[in-house]
Amino acid sequence: METPGPAVQGTQGAAPVWRFLITPRWLGWHVLMVLSVWGMLWLGDWQLHRALSGNGLSWAYTFEWPLFAGFAIVFWAKTIRDEFRIRRTGGAGPESAEAASAAQSLPAGLGTTQVQQPADDADDAELAKYNAYLARLNEEVKGTHGKRYGFR
Amino acid sequence: MHAAVLRYRVMAYITGVVLIVLCFVGIPLQIAGHPAVANDVGVLHGILYIIYLVCAWILSRKLALTNGQTVILLLAGTVPIMTFIVERWATRKFINPALAAAPAAEPVSR
Repeated sequence: METPGPAVQGTQGAAPVWRFLITPRWLGWHVLMVLSVWGMLWLGDWQLHRALSGNGLSWAYTFEWPLFAGFAIVFWAKTIRDEFRIRRTGGAGPESAEAASAAQSLPAGLGTTQVQQPADDADDAELAKYNAYLARLNEEVKGTHGKRYGFR
Repeated sequence: MHAAVLRYRVMAYITGVVLIVLCFVGIPLQIAGHPAVANDVGVLHGILYIIYLVCAWILSRKLALTNGQTVILLLAGTVPIMTFIVERWATRKFINPALAAAPAAEPVSR
């Protein structure tokens, strides 16, 4: 465990959020995306040459491949934007990042902030019961598909 | 969430069926010298796959899938039979848990 000081400061005290973009895993994804976009544009260009040399069917693919390349770029940009949002709201540490990504999939009002301190209002029996219920739900979610958060 | 799952499933099955027709009817006919089926179904699959991509992408965001899982979901529409396998995999591993974890967010319809 680290000292509580930087953890309380959240994102400000830790390394810049964008740092995840240059981790080996994400660099690998960037390379894959660049290669696949380049490949799709190349295929579109190939189909254009086929279309120009008389293959009428190739016109459809001439427009389809650049469209796929565009999809890839848009999807990639949105993925990175989502990742920024998850990491910003999650603060520092993998545990809070996991909690933040869990909060993304939970309905409004069922955030994991309540689950993290269930014992704070121990004198309120109803609240304690509700928090225990939330904690149980959280555990169930983690047990069934929590594994995926580790791959991010 | 329910609507996104339904859209994804409909497109997965339609795209999957068309791709099977393309690969197991169109391609053999093309090899046998009748390229018309492969040409038409090929273009049809191309158009359907675009719609599939959008539906699968939206679902992947709602399920908060990782990059790798998203790629599997999106590319399933290009491999014969794979749409059905991946649809079952996604249902078991992500869709059912997500629907079970968030029933309150959807209006109950019975």
